[in-house]
Amino acid sequence: MMQLSRNSLPQEGGISAPLLPVPLSFERNWLQDLESRLEKGGPWGDWKLSRLAVQGEQCGLVTSFDELQCTKHLSSLSPLPHQLDTAHKVLFEMSGRAILADEVGLGKTIEAGLILKEYLVRGLVGKVLILVPASLVLQWVRELNAKFGINAVAQKKAYSWGNDIVVASLDTAKRDPHKELLLSSEYDMLIIDEAHKLKNKKSTNYQFVQQLRKKYCLLLTATPVQNDLGELFNLITLLKPGQLGNQGDFAANFVVDKRQPKNEVQLRGELSKVMIRNRRGEGPVSFTKRKVRNIPLTLSPEEKALYDGVTAFVKDTYQESGGNLSSMLSLVTLQREVCSSRDAVFITLVNLIKKLPADSPKRDRMMELLQSIRTVKTNTKAEKTMELIREMNEKVIVFTEYRATQEYLLQYFRDHGLQCVPYSGGMNRGKKDWMMDLFRGRAQVMIATEAGGEGINLQFCHHMINFDLPWNPMRVEQRIGRVHRLGQQNDVVIYNLSTQGTIEEHILHLLHEKINMFEMVIGGLDVILERFEQKESLEKSLYKIMLEARSDEELRSGLDHIGESLSELSQETRQESGVTP
Amino acid sequence: MTLTAQEVRRHVMDYLEATGCTVIEVSPLHVTVKLSPRADRMLTDRPYYWGFVERTGAEPETLSFTFVFDPEQYDHAAAQAAAAPARPRGGTNLRPAPMVQPGSNDMEAAAETDTAAAGGAPAGVPPGVSTEPQDSILARYFGIVPALPRLGPGMIRREDVTYGSKRLKQIWAAARDEGKCLQLFEDPGSRQRMTLFSAAYEPWLGVCYKVEMTCDLKREELHFLGISLTTGRIAADFGTRLGSLELTPRLPENIHIQPYELTVSGGADRLESYLTDQLAGLDYSWAEEARERLRLELSIVDLYYSELLKEPDEEKKQAIEEQYNARRTETAWQYEPQIAVSAVTYGLFHLRSS
Repeated sequence: MMQLSRNSLPQEGGISAPLLPVPLSFERNWLQDLESRLEKGGPWGDWKLSRLAVQGEQCGLVTSFDELQCTKHLSSLSPLPHQLDTAHKVLFEMSGRAILADEVGLGKTIEAGLILKEYLVRGLVGKVLILVPASLVLQWVRELNAKFGINAVAQKKAYSWGNDIVVASLDTAKRDPHKELLLSSEYDMLIIDEAHKLKNKKSTNYQFVQQLRKKYCLLLTATPVQNDLGELFNLITLLKPGQLGNQGDFAANFVVDKRQPKNEVQLRGELSKVMIRNRRGEGPVSFTKRKVRNIPLTLSPEEKALYDGVTAFVKDTYQESGGNLSSMLSLVTLQREVCSSRDAVFITLVNLIKKLPADSPKRDRMMELLQSIRTVKTNTKAEKTMELIREMNEKVIVFTEYRATQEYLLQYFRDHGLQCVPYSGGMNRGKKDWMMDLFRGRAQVMIATEAGGEGINLQFCHHMINFDLPWNPMRVEQRIGRVHRLGQQNDVVIYNLSTQGTIEEHILHLLHEKINMFEMVIGGLDVILERFEQKESLEKSLYKIMLEARSDEELRSGLDHIGESLSELSQETRQESGVTP
Repeated sequence: MTLTAQEVRRHVMDYLEATGCTVIEVSPLHVTVKLSPRADRMLTDRPYYWGFVERTGAEPETLSFTFVFDPEQYDHAAAQAAAAPARPRGGTNLRPAPMVQPGSNDMEAAAETDTAAAGGAPAGVPPGVSTEPQDSILARYFGIVPALPRLGPGMIRREDVTYGSKRLKQIWAAARDEGKCLQLFEDPGSRQRMTLFSAAYEPWLGVCYKVEMTCDLKREELHFLGISLTTGRIAADFGTRLGSLELTPRLPENIHIQPYELTVSGGADRLESYLTDQLAGLDYSWAEEARERLRLELSIVDLYYSELLKEPDEEKKQAIEEQYNARRTETAWQYEPQIAVSAVTYGLFHLRSS
């Protein structure tokens, strides 16, 4: 940063220099170079090359303060209008500090790349740190190199930090010995992907990023407000402390309740100074269609018996416990798993039994359930999935929530001669990447667990099968977002498997019929959920209904109730966005 | 400013010519060239290889490239050439454009398959097997690996050189490296040798200054200035004047150089004063605006921390104070306007007195 500053000008020429309103520094190493060559009699440069150098300099010259230069340097990329707009805004209105909060699949990475490239071209940025989840490190490196011609390097060993542009995982960076090294450096630009991991200001992530010295800073997240307005405040404080006033002002001016803002217009105005959020429904961005096929299945008698057994057990236990929801989570899981595969139920059940005291009366009942698992020889869903895959004869990604189901499916498909690879959150970075490459290259099927859903881009595949459904619509949307995003050439076909007469059928009905979530390209899902969840999270409401319903009728009416309020909300938001497009 | 394919071509050809490279084949769309040792050192990033050559005295084997200036047209032409049933032109490099898998807009991929074909490797890759470079085991580990140079006759890597490509930037940087410091004489022409009187030459110090005006944004200007070390006269558009002259690195016959009235560093001082004068005449509203932004940002920061600094706990307060100062420094770093001037090229030019 320090430059040879020669602000007082030499007087020997007899010319009095006017004072500039800005500090001026002359770099004078060239003079020494010239003098020493004169002394030694050379070597001298080539005139032609010298002229070429000046021409090159002229071509790269940034002649205007406020015009994007980077697009001229990008031959292998044609950014979309909203991406260019975003880059323009961040550079010239936000001075390089912003939260990029586009909805999933609109190309936040491209926007960040454009902004970074622009600063590099302008020579305003030299040293860059990019912190992303471990699973995305290589993808970032590739995109920056291939699409932007930026020499980004993945952090592998301690010496990697010495490179100008480093992509690393936040979890690695915040740990010793890296932490100290990074905190003692200065970064012209800091980019953080999946920045919603920085919402809690007590977390080590947050404190680490706060301490990093940075000039420009981009935070990327698709879900800037998930639960709590306070979290948004924290995120902005990281970027520009004081932008929303201090915590007290913020609470007084904008917050009614944790989830409910007041003075929304004013808040939105303040937010627009630091945050850009493009939505799928806006702008000329055209996405391919989503086609939904719901596949109703009938359970085999043994499977049905198991399902009923588990359901009865879960309900009874809930009633015994006196309706305490928090201790019921593992039971809820059990109920959901029984819709997926017997393997998943088996593992959870065994773990539950292990925790019980030896003389517990429940033990016998659970052992009974285990016995009935043994009687189940077939998996109706797996058979159907197999059939579907054979029919489409194209690349397909199968999502399940459970590792046990994943394992089972892998085995099952392989036994039947299908090439498939697993993908899950527990895999390390290298393995995840390898699996992605295998899927792109040779395997027809990828079986991913929910955790593996974040941050993988599979535009080359346009079939997805929801082997089971998450009960949180945002998670469903994230699944779809893996495949249905910019760059997808084909219509995306989504298959939902649902077993008749089970809770799954109801959930699918709710998600599909009521929120129309599979076909809703208009986005706005987060808005609907935000409003709905002002009292309680949707998932929890569903659990409650499921556990408390004494009959199928009750269950249905409870779910219908939720469904209605959701569809009302969705109509409301549609009207609002219709009024102010 | 951007460059057309033709302008890029001219720049690249100028460089290749100036460094003595051997052009194997050339068209308006591309050039196939065997680099000279001098250009190879600058462009191929093989310091170990050149260290080996220096130490062992081995005969250097330089790399060859096909630089394509207009990839679209080139591929089109190549496809047409391949489609034509006529026998292939002897020694031509117009091979059919490699099929790049959809979704891979990576020109590396094209380059790779191209070289493979050139080396006579089987072109048929089993279907379903990706040929993208990221499939290599190293790429899996590092995300991206620069394509390794391949040696040997016939191994010619294709590279697309367009405005913004790394290669063009590298060529400019290489040109600057070898051409920044000059000592040149105006060529007096053959007639001067016959004349009785020796011609008077005036020594000039010429510097191409790059002015970078920076705040949170940036603008740049180039000023190619010259000053006569005899008279102290300053030429504002010295670059254009030099461009119209025939210059040679050798001292011509039958000329004499007028005595220096100014030292080189004296000349530099005057040039700097002159440039400062020029810069003083510019519009500085950008700096005012940047300072205004800075003031605003700082006031927000001050307000925010003034509340926090009421913390009674000394230890906590100290931490907050530290954070506060860090944030203030960061903000100033981001917005504070300044101008930095550096030299792109510079040298002594001996020109005929007029």
